[in-house]
Amino acid sequence: MTSPTIDDLQAITEQVWLSYLDPEGVTPFLPSEQGPGMPCVIATVSVTGAWDGHVVMSFSQKASRLSASALLGMEEEEVSVDDVADAVGELVNVIGGNVKSLLPDGSLLSLPHVATIDEGVNKWPAAVEVCRLQGSWQNEPIAITVLTSKSSG
Amino acid sequence: MKILIADDSRVMRQIVTRTLRQAGFSGHELIEAADGREAHDLVIAQKPDLVLSDWNMPEMTGIEVLRALRAGGVDVPFGFVTSEGTDEMRKMAEEAGALFLITKPFTADNFTDVLGPILG
Repeated sequence: MTSPTIDDLQAITEQVWLSYLDPEGVTPFLPSEQGPGMPCVIATVSVTGAWDGHVVMSFSQKASRLSASALLGMEEEEVSVDDVADAVGELVNVIGGNVKSLLPDGSLLSLPHVATIDEGVNKWPAAVEVCRLQGSWQNEPIAITVLTSKSSG
Repeated sequence: MKILIADDSRVMRQIVTRTLRQAGFSGHELIEAADGREAHDLVIAQKPDLVLSDWNMPEMTGIEVLRALRAGGVDVPFGFVTSEGTDEMRKMAEEAGALFLITKPFTADNFTDVLGPILG
């Protein structure tokens, strides 16, 4: 079964940044070894059906606020908690939808789920990592991970 | 023209509004729905000239809205703006009577190409 690769994630991410977060091409997403630590904001969508798994975006708290600011055309200090949840949820929805288009027909995409994790770990015990793209945007860490359920591996 | 933008994300409704303007489609009356049920009810109540709808929404999905409208004899021009653009979904949309499917992420050029013939 075909699975998404880090090259796929990179191509999708580039399109999302050029369309919404960096239309002028001056603050691109820069891949690196460093992903977000704690605390962080995570946004996920699940894919079920012919392929079972999750697409997870994690952001430093500042990266999540910068995302809402860019998408809404507002100053960073003006964005609310709801704005941040809406913005990062929509970003993972767009990236998840594009990941789903690489998967077999007959899969369904869930609505996004957004959470803030202050400390500890972000664990997915029933899933294994398929690919992960991490890096920084405006010097703030962001990671995108595709996980598949162990049962559908 | 009156255009209904249906998306459960306020951020995305705002991006669609901004992109319409960037694509040169200013001056139209825009109304918004935050879920599929509201979109369906607004089409009935306000009779827009065009619907731009997300696919994956609470209450009713976009395709359920379109099918319910067509089943009720409402033939408003209807297109999807969605993150999912598989051949399977394009076929489903076309069979239900959608005019187009624009995939997210989109640009103003995408809107110009697809909506130009409709909005003039």
